[in-house]
Amino acid sequence: MKINRAIIILKTISVGIACLFLFSCGGRSVKSGMMVATEAPGNIKDQDYINGLSWRYLTGARIIAFNPDKPESFKVLTKDFYSACFPEISFDGRFMLFTAQQKADNPWQIWEMELDNLKSRKIRSFSENCTDPAYLPGGRLVFSKLTVNDTVRTANCLFTCNLDGSGLTQITFSPQTNFATSVLKDGRLLTLCRSLMPETGTAMLTVMRPDGTKADLFYEAGKNSILLSKAKETGDGRIVFIETDEGNKQRENVISISYNRPLHTRTDISSGIDGEFYYVMPLNPEKYLVSFRRSDSENFALYVFDPNKKSLGQTIFSDSQYSILDVAEVKVYERPKKLPSEVDMQVKTGLLLCQNINVINPSLPIDPGHLSKAGKIEVLGVDTTYGIVQVEEDGSFSLKVMADTPFRIRTIDEKGNVINGPCSWLWLRPNERRGCVGCHEDPELVPENRVSIAVTKAPVIIPVHITAIKEKIVELE
Amino acid sequence: MRKYLKIIIPIGALFTLVAVLSFPFHRWAREHVNNMTAADDHPLECLSCHLYLKKSKIISKFTDAQYYSPFNLAVSKDGRYLYAVAEEGNTLLVVDTEKGKVKHKIKVGIRPHSVILSRDGKTAFVSNQWSDNVSVIDLERFIITDTLKTGNGPAGLALSADGQYLYVVNSYSSDLSVINLSTGSEQKRLTAGNNPTGVKISPDSSLLYVTSRRTLSAPYGDTIRCELTVVNDKKQRITERKDIKFAYMMENIAFTPSGDLALIPLIRPKNNVPTLQVERGWMMTNGIGIIEQKSQGRIIQLLLDEPNAYYADPFGIAITPDGKKAFISHAGVDCISVIDIEAVRAILAESTDEMLNIYSNHLGISSRFVIKRIPTGANPKGLALSPDGKTLYVAEHLQDRIAVISTDSLCTIGTIDLGGPRRITVYRHGRRLLNNAGHTFQNQYSCYTCHPDVHEDGLVYNMASKDIGRNMTNTQSLRNIGETPPYKWNGKNQSVYKQDGMRFSTVLTRTEAFSYNELDAITAYIMTGIDNPPNLQYNPDGELTEAEKRGKEIFERTHNNHGYEIPVVNRCVTCHPAPYFTNKKMADVGTLAASDDSILFDTPHLNNIFASPPYLHDGRARTLEEIWTLYGKTEQHGSINDLTKIELNELVEYLKSLRDPEYKQNKTKILHASLRHN
Repeated sequence: MKINRAIIILKTISVGIACLFLFSCGGRSVKSGMMVATEAPGNIKDQDYINGLSWRYLTGARIIAFNPDKPESFKVLTKDFYSACFPEISFDGRFMLFTAQQKADNPWQIWEMELDNLKSRKIRSFSENCTDPAYLPGGRLVFSKLTVNDTVRTANCLFTCNLDGSGLTQITFSPQTNFATSVLKDGRLLTLCRSLMPETGTAMLTVMRPDGTKADLFYEAGKNSILLSKAKETGDGRIVFIETDEGNKQRENVISISYNRPLHTRTDISSGIDGEFYYVMPLNPEKYLVSFRRSDSENFALYVFDPNKKSLGQTIFSDSQYSILDVAEVKVYERPKKLPSEVDMQVKTGLLLCQNINVINPSLPIDPGHLSKAGKIEVLGVDTTYGIVQVEEDGSFSLKVMADTPFRIRTIDEKGNVINGPCSWLWLRPNERRGCVGCHEDPELVPENRVSIAVTKAPVIIPVHITAIKEKIVELE
Repeated sequence: MRKYLKIIIPIGALFTLVAVLSFPFHRWAREHVNNMTAADDHPLECLSCHLYLKKSKIISKFTDAQYYSPFNLAVSKDGRYLYAVAEEGNTLLVVDTEKGKVKHKIKVGIRPHSVILSRDGKTAFVSNQWSDNVSVIDLERFIITDTLKTGNGPAGLALSADGQYLYVVNSYSSDLSVINLSTGSEQKRLTAGNNPTGVKISPDSSLLYVTSRRTLSAPYGDTIRCELTVVNDKKQRITERKDIKFAYMMENIAFTPSGDLALIPLIRPKNNVPTLQVERGWMMTNGIGIIEQKSQGRIIQLLLDEPNAYYADPFGIAITPDGKKAFISHAGVDCISVIDIEAVRAILAESTDEMLNIYSNHLGISSRFVIKRIPTGANPKGLALSPDGKTLYVAEHLQDRIAVISTDSLCTIGTIDLGGPRRITVYRHGRRLLNNAGHTFQNQYSCYTCHPDVHEDGLVYNMASKDIGRNMTNTQSLRNIGETPPYKWNGKNQSVYKQDGMRFSTVLTRTEAFSYNELDAITAYIMTGIDNPPNLQYNPDGELTEAEKRGKEIFERTHNNHGYEIPVVNRCVTCHPAPYFTNKKMADVGTLAASDDSILFDTPHLNNIFASPPYLHDGRARTLEEIWTLYGKTEQHGSINDLTKIELNELVEYLKSLRDPEYKQNKTKILHASLRHN
């Protein structure tokens, strides 16, 4: 009898210890070293690169987690959602941002999941679709949100907010789509961007500070190419992404560019491999993971890719029912730099200085003979002109432009003939100060070290019909 | 029980008192730290300020360490020995390259700068920048055999073609001493550019090129020009003064073995451009100057930077004996750029002058001739190649180490530890931060870039305050400023903490601000670790000349030449009292320009003021004289209009004699006495 009791007590203690062990060790559902990925059912077709349908907003997608060593025992993390995609892991490796629809008719919203317990919370409720979240240093995030207003018409603009949803800030203000934003180690955002007005522009990667200042071209795709995926920074100074062939949109390649010189270092590192790539994620400089399929009759599966040998390796994960469209590793990440902001919302304008409108990129198809005639600029809004401004003798001008307003500039001669432009869309954040060397200048050109005449005079207020602006004066130094 | 109560009650009372006082004390401490740092969350760590910011020899014994800080290098003819000038150790280190160990340590003068070897390799010459002499060292016995007097601030060294003369670049007095080695005396002195440092003789032994760091004096807005002085070796005369436009900080120079090109690392600043952004090279760019040696040879500049990566503070240069590769150290980004010289020649051959002009401002051109960037330890400075050209030695200045790089594989194949302290003190950490561009967006510049030798670069910048064409700012020295708050010309920063804090990153570095640990370290270094060099040019031993004494009387006078009492506010000494010659207050000295906001200016400290031209807040006065002859006519900047020309000269002579009160006078005297020419 006593022995039986002792056995019962021992068993109880054993079960208790086992429970304790399971509770303490098995609490974290998605552990460091695991992968999280977006799966979308079947073949991916009819993607709309302007409004994101079937591309950034996927029907019936789900986020899974799996151990790369045991991919067959994967776990669906977003069972409670109708569709979910684009997981982004926090810098401490403990949380995951993603975009999801709870029901088929719900708008897409940004959610965050705690990977320890798989509990999700909506960051903030919007009536419009949101997608492509990414963590920012300082407890904030950036994402794309469908925006409809007089300024941008209908475009997916970038917004930032705190992780609790507060402090919402719009940071792009032009009629351009912005999707698939990633955060560079230098703290800037790299976003996949296309102009929508006056006609659809070339796909490009635009770089900007997280406050929306200093937005600039980073990489421009071929004229008929499409940038498909988020650009990812490698550990050896490269940026990799997927771009379609200029001549064949069905052929999707892994492109690598140098961070140091992105406009002139494009390399197709998947040349010679027949098939389509959909996503690339660098694990380290020698090993990438790619979403790939050999033909459009297959689903995309996850493969190892060697960027140096330009060769595909083993299949990491495949699913007969789903295509795997992106992947992220659960681990601690190096936090990007937290950039300071010059934006002051109490200031109504931004300032733009151009050194010489007659400095242009010699590779552009413009007759240089015409350029010496350019003596004025016209500042164009979305559907109006903000006025014509006489530039200085040395070709310089400085403008005080109403902040957060898109504009373009074109150069004209004394008779009003258009010489060059208009340039792509610009905007200035409140209190932002920007400089450019010329108009359509070579983006690798730095300014000459000289005092421009425009610097010695008060800037011209844009729109020109405004003669004075009363606003807070910010002393920067 | 009573016995215990006697103990418990006082302890309890003490605890209660502490508890009662701790809250207001904490609040006071918080306010105090907030005030000093201009931040509301700087940690309340009393020691970071009240220990590390104290300039005390006793404290520094515990908190500081004596590092070597290798600066420039030379290699023996057989490649067996490497000679490293230890700038902080005041030592020439003799390194056995095979064993990778320091074999001898030879004490030299203060702040040694450069070392060269005699033709037979038996003698080393070391320039002592803070002792105004050159140590002559017997390399067989490893002893100093002679000390040669030079001009002020000897830096770069070169031997004449016949080996009979030593050329010494005097960086502070901006001239070139020609020393006859057979007599040990200075034969003549030639005027060089502004703050020269580098010198090299051409492969055909006909010409010496002397590089300078500061620009030639010019009003703000003029094209900046830095002088490259060309000297005929045989005649020992200057044959040409070449203007290197848009550039400065030309630290060193090297010739290709064929002699067709001379290459100079340099910086192309953007001081005339408003500081609107860092992106796209709007603040600083770094490059090389190329001087074609043929008749009508061009002067070309090519950037070493890339569109999203800058290579701050280029310093040393070495060219392989086969003339194929050049190596340039970037002190601000801890790396070496490797240049394909043939590619440079190809660019020169195929490019028109117009194209070359564009290339001088083009961030893409480096991709055509820079073949690799090799990472190094902290703050790489001087470079030296082994005689066979297969090994490059790099003086890792703030790492106390020599890097050994294979010029074939272009990889670091080893390092040589010089035996300095292992621990990195707070001050050393601060010094590294000040010298490193990692805290500026895309590494475009370090604090050192505008404050070379923790001084100032002599340029006036358009800091784009309020509006873009207003409030030009003359760069101020960082030397010995710990006791002279407030900082900045507008006096808005009450402490170095604020100066280098959050706004510093918003306005100047445009990347993530220093962490508080880093801010503590850089503040500690700036507040306590930066001395002025001894003022050997105007006040070598603390004894004033007769003219300086008369100038001192004028400086301290209370009555003018007509016998009238000078109002207190108009006396020099009122605003510029010793020991730092500043009352640390704001003043209007009648220098407000139309482009300035209506503000008062911080009264600058005056020690070693001779070394800080141009003068006044916007650098309008090119000399001390001009402060009064051109810009002091209203008597707001001291009562001087009764002075004769000679008296004004004497006042200026006195001002030039001002030097750090803490300067170790005795130590200098001893070194001067013991190192005289035999």
